[in-house]
Amino acid sequence: MTRRAALLAALLVAARPAGAQQAAVGPQAALAEYREVAAGLRYRGAGYGGAASARWRRFSAEASVVRLSLDPAPGGVATRGFTATEVDARLGYDVADYASVEVGILRRTADPEFDAQSVGAVRLGARSAYALGPGATVAFRAGYLAASRFSGGGRAPVALEFGLLLDVRFWGRVRGAAAYQFQRINRKTNPGGTGEVDAPIQESLARVGLALALGR
Amino acid sequence: MTALPRRVLVVGFAALAAAPAVPAQGAAQAGQNLTLRRAQQAYDNLEYRQALGLARAALRERLTGLERARAYELLGFSYAAMDSILRAVDAFKQLVLLDPERELDPNRVSPKAYSAFDVALRQVLLVRGLRVDSASFVGGQGAVPIRFTVTQPARVVVRAVSPAGSVVIDSGAWNGQVNLRWAARLAGGDPMPAGDYVVVVDARLGQNAFSASAPIRVRHGSVDTLAHLAALPGYSYLPETEIPPQSWRPLGLAFVYTGGALVGTLGLEGGSLGSSSKRELAIVGGAALVTGAVMTLRKPAPRPAAANILYNRLLREQLARRNQEIARENAARRQQVQLTVVPLPRGAR
Repeated sequence: MTRRAALLAALLVAARPAGAQQAAVGPQAALAEYREVAAGLRYRGAGYGGAASARWRRFSAEASVVRLSLDPAPGGVATRGFTATEVDARLGYDVADYASVEVGILRRTADPEFDAQSVGAVRLGARSAYALGPGATVAFRAGYLAASRFSGGGRAPVALEFGLLLDVRFWGRVRGAAAYQFQRINRKTNPGGTGEVDAPIQESLARVGLALALGR
Repeated sequence: MTALPRRVLVVGFAALAAAPAVPAQGAAQAGQNLTLRRAQQAYDNLEYRQALGLARAALRERLTGLERARAYELLGFSYAAMDSILRAVDAFKQLVLLDPERELDPNRVSPKAYSAFDVALRQVLLVRGLRVDSASFVGGQGAVPIRFTVTQPARVVVRAVSPAGSVVIDSGAWNGQVNLRWAARLAGGDPMPAGDYVVVVDARLGQNAFSASAPIRVRHGSVDTLAHLAALPGYSYLPETEIPPQSWRPLGLAFVYTGGALVGTLGLEGGSLGSSSKRELAIVGGAALVTGAVMTLRKPAPRPAAANILYNRLLREQLARRNQEIARENAARRQQVQLTVVPLPRGAR
């Protein structure tokens, strides 16, 4: 309960319009596919969450939380599903009209704890956005997940993510948002000190939702 | 003939200027005095000797100024008709001293009489034809035209006289037609106070002096200020937005961005984990492509026209600059005085 309250507070703070040129907050639905270690250990599922964003001059901030119920995919070897809570946060700075650099954090936790890897990482990336027309923007982002931490230990020298974002103004202050995110984390573990073995993690996540624009 | 008077102040003789140029035409008007009327009749009957005698007799009687001038005129014309030019000149001298504005029409009088009158004018110091034109101007930026004729080279002083004092307008040694421009300012540069004045022209040549005057009125008014401009004449603002031509760019961009995400996904996935279903990418990428297609098909939104915006900004700056100049000009004009000088009819004061 305390954790949810903290997340909600973080969303509201991120979306607070004071001093911001524009802010938006709204609910989201999510679809996800998750794979870990081998092709057979795969999960698919859906969930819900919320997202908030704010922009002030050249700075931008985004935060989203989704809670996913992931079940074993047909044909897989997984026997039971788990629930994942994923928190994404980014701060961006526009270096040009259509390009910005981003830093942020990723935290994904699994419940039950040992049914999947919980991950924490720092994001370093870039984003390119372009206006398709009045009130419609498409963006592409790519990033490196640095300083990865896993609940089962190990390290990830290569951890990358790609994303596709779409933002459309429907009417007035109501906007539609869709975001695709693909992560590949080449995790390596050394169980029992017998040498490193690959234990990669791969997730594709789609979030679709509405957002209410606040501020100017 | 008598000697010239030392000083003759000529005010109020304008009516004499209306007297006829030919004696015969003025008989009825001049005939108030019986003797003078008889002299006029004798002249009309070409009995010049009788006319001379009667005119001289009339001059010994009590006559008005108009009658006296008329008598001298009859003498002049009669002497001229009798080829006594010197005496005619003397008679005309007396005439112009009594009526300095007197003119003869060369087309209606005999050449001998006209020549004698012209010689008489040159031998008498007179200031004739004093005219002060109407003028209206901002104090310090205009002048009142004043003109007159001095019949002999003389030292002339022109003054504006009022009960409060007099101001010298100009002075000099002049002869013939004189044209002056009076700024209507006091010695300190301030505009002449509003009120009635008399422009007096004093001419002096040795012991002879002559004065002419013309009454004027000086009025003060406020100077008209300039209206601020709402637009520069000949220039108009341009529309600051323009509708771009329709293009496939939105759909193309949607393809590029979606393709980038697809390439990134294909490049990262695989290996021991196998390929993903692309379901999530299909949802978001499909939405991006649909949005791109809609934006391609819909009418483009107006976009700022940078050149027109710059043009309008320059126009606004020019307009603001001009209005600032007008404001400064108006501030100066509010401290100025519009002077209006008008001549008054003689005797109107």
